[in-house]
Amino acid sequence: METQNKIRIYFTGVGGQGSLTATSLLARTALHAGLEVVAGEVHGMAQRGGVVQSVLLLGGWRSPKLDLGEADLLLGFEPLETLRGMPYLRPGGTVFSSTDPMTPVGVNLGKETYPSLEEIKAKVARQAGAVHFLPCRDLGIQAGAVQAGNTVLLAAVCASGILPFGVDVFEDALKRFLPPKLQVANLKALELGRKVYEENCK
Amino acid sequence: MSANPLLEGKQGERHLLLSNEAIVRGALEAGVHVVTCYPGTPSSEVPDTFYKIGGAGKRYYMQYSVNEKVAMEVACGAALSGAMALVTMKHVGLNVAADPLFTTAYTGLPGGLVVLSADDPGFHSSQNEQDNRNYARAASLPCFEPATAQEAKDMTKEAFRVARELEQPVLLRTTTRVSHMRGAVVFGELPEAEQPKVPFERNPMRFVPVPAVSRLRHIALEKQMAKAQALSEASPYNKVTVPASKPADGVIVSGASRNYLADALMAEGWEDKVRVLELGMTWPLPDEKIASFLKDCKRVLVLEENDPLLETYVRALAQKRGLSCEISGKGGVLTIQNEYSTTLLRQALAAWFGGSCEVAVNEPEPNLPGRPPNLCAGCSHRAVFYAARQVFGDGAYYSSDIGCYTLGMLPPLRCADFLFCMGSSVSGGSGFAIGSGKTVVGFIGDSTFFHSGMTGLANAVFNKVDIVVVILDNGTTAMTGHQPNPGMRQDMLGDLCAHLDIESIVRGFGVEQIKKVKAFNLKSVVKAFEEFKDMKGVRVLISEEPCALYARRRLKMGMERYAVVSSQGDDAKRCFETFACPAFCRRDGEYAVDDTLCTGCGMCLQIAPKAFKLVKRG
Repeated sequence: METQNKIRIYFTGVGGQGSLTATSLLARTALHAGLEVVAGEVHGMAQRGGVVQSVLLLGGWRSPKLDLGEADLLLGFEPLETLRGMPYLRPGGTVFSSTDPMTPVGVNLGKETYPSLEEIKAKVARQAGAVHFLPCRDLGIQAGAVQAGNTVLLAAVCASGILPFGVDVFEDALKRFLPPKLQVANLKALELGRKVYEENCK
Repeated sequence: MSANPLLEGKQGERHLLLSNEAIVRGALEAGVHVVTCYPGTPSSEVPDTFYKIGGAGKRYYMQYSVNEKVAMEVACGAALSGAMALVTMKHVGLNVAADPLFTTAYTGLPGGLVVLSADDPGFHSSQNEQDNRNYARAASLPCFEPATAQEAKDMTKEAFRVARELEQPVLLRTTTRVSHMRGAVVFGELPEAEQPKVPFERNPMRFVPVPAVSRLRHIALEKQMAKAQALSEASPYNKVTVPASKPADGVIVSGASRNYLADALMAEGWEDKVRVLELGMTWPLPDEKIASFLKDCKRVLVLEENDPLLETYVRALAQKRGLSCEISGKGGVLTIQNEYSTTLLRQALAAWFGGSCEVAVNEPEPNLPGRPPNLCAGCSHRAVFYAARQVFGDGAYYSSDIGCYTLGMLPPLRCADFLFCMGSSVSGGSGFAIGSGKTVVGFIGDSTFFHSGMTGLANAVFNKVDIVVVILDNGTTAMTGHQPNPGMRQDMLGDLCAHLDIESIVRGFGVEQIKKVKAFNLKSVVKAFEEFKDMKGVRVLISEEPCALYARRRLKMGMERYAVVSSQGDDAKRCFETFACPAFCRRDGEYAVDDTLCTGCGMCLQIAPKAFKLVKRG
């Protein structure tokens, strides 16, 4: 995938999933790699179960807020939120998304319908240039912790070459910034993310 | 645990910081002695970081005050005594704190006071999007507006320098996007020893603002603001950028808009089309610098979120100086609503240049299932709202307040009919009862009760108002992130704070009808409401139960049991429809409870005993 030295990334997920932690980790990785970094997040009403969005800008962009159509890359930690976030992606931009649904309360109560994964994938593919849906939760569990699923997603993005740093820099950052007890699972998740990209996405 | 870089980081180190954390570092570099606050999004991480990094008592003193006015007065008192003080709050908090601020600007505060007001354009978590730059003008406060994490640190330090040099309170105004952005911050030097305090010299002719004193102090204030204006003229934060093409178009810009402008110019390759005057010290404004900029331009566009304050000022200045420069600002896509963005400024600039720019956007997918904010599974507020609705139904009017429980407005609970601000449930509810003669039930949380519910309650007792007040005591300041308040358990407060008993306070105010219940005991809550229903006067129900998230995360209370649906049918249906716990779900068409969300509060069992049962986990 072509590297974008100046890139605007939109993160979207559900409260409690750790998408803000993932944003912050990738931001620290980028700073560690010597890049210009700005990240933005909105706190407050975003609680368990609500939509949580954040942004990361690399290479000289300054605005910690993305408007519709501004993101080059969308990282979706939940497939419904990936689909909902699509207007933030510039037409033809790149999507990396988890395939693991977290059903909203209206769906749980049978009042609303959660679209099928196939439907979501098809709709996302129509609006994006490149799309990669990954079974992050399963791979995270395989690595030893369900939360490591986020690392699978980030590692796959780094392995794709779209970011101005590679998966080796991310690996170095994990070793540097994560507490020792989290490292084993996350480094394993990193390998799985790299592998799943190389085997399925290239 | 390794030492926090904010407390230990050396000069020249570079760290990725939230701007709110950068403000903490800036205050530490300045040598702040006293920090006070009332939490409120988007300001809360400033005091929470001071609290968390553990420097309190060593490098500085900090307190969570009971409201913004008190926080302001404590900070003003500290600054008057000679200490460097910081007080933090969200934008609407400054309304509460405005009274002392306006007058301390007259007396001056020799130690130096910096006031952080974190504004919320775009209503991310607020009831209005008021523009607190107005306070700088109204109260005569030098004002700084950072746009990056680095500036958040640097301007905090500079604000303290100015506050001490001029002995005037200084406003540090951020907005949500600035408060909650992360960026690289290069550290300055941290003072080795405690910074000197300014010895207090008794001078009632300065510090006791009786009219004879204040008349003179108003003149002194004007002199100080003239000095502040000279600082603004020379400030490196007010800077002009002129491209080599020396264009005749100019942009004047401040705050978060500076970021959007930079990105819009970069995205379109328009850097050589405009001169830019960036304003970081935004009160007093640098008249000479602005006039000189206007002289060099044929046309100027002013970019600022919310109120057209710079624009109006620049127009007035041009008129005063007889400058013919054409000035534009609000209009078209540039409104007083909401936030600006890079795309919005691309559009505004394109229109101003006489063209247009293409904005390609993916169509949103319609009718996706939403994820609206909701009271959590196991939230004790839901239990009390359910009981209130059972007893009062639509026969009462529900006066709400600021906190998680505002979400009681949502169906099926529908326990919020109106709301003004912090503390208004009691006093606004009193007025509604007086004006309408209707039954009013007010809901207020523990932290909000201490904030400003107490005064409204005293007033209701004093004036013999007919009102039911429910104090939803969940033992913490839940919505802003579980900050301490006087209602918190003593063992959670530690040695530095004292627990205050809500019931004793209410009783001390002279309320005679008081009932205290456990929120999850449905029978007792319903019984209390039923007894209150036929009474007159002030009736107070104190319902106790810790916030579910706080119980789990901080009190380490386990969730040993969870509910299951034991019988499908009308009872389960009724409970689903009237209680609507977020743990309720449908599985293959059947009623079920999500055991990962259920806290085992047992409310569903009490509402529909035949349909639910509790089982042990694991």
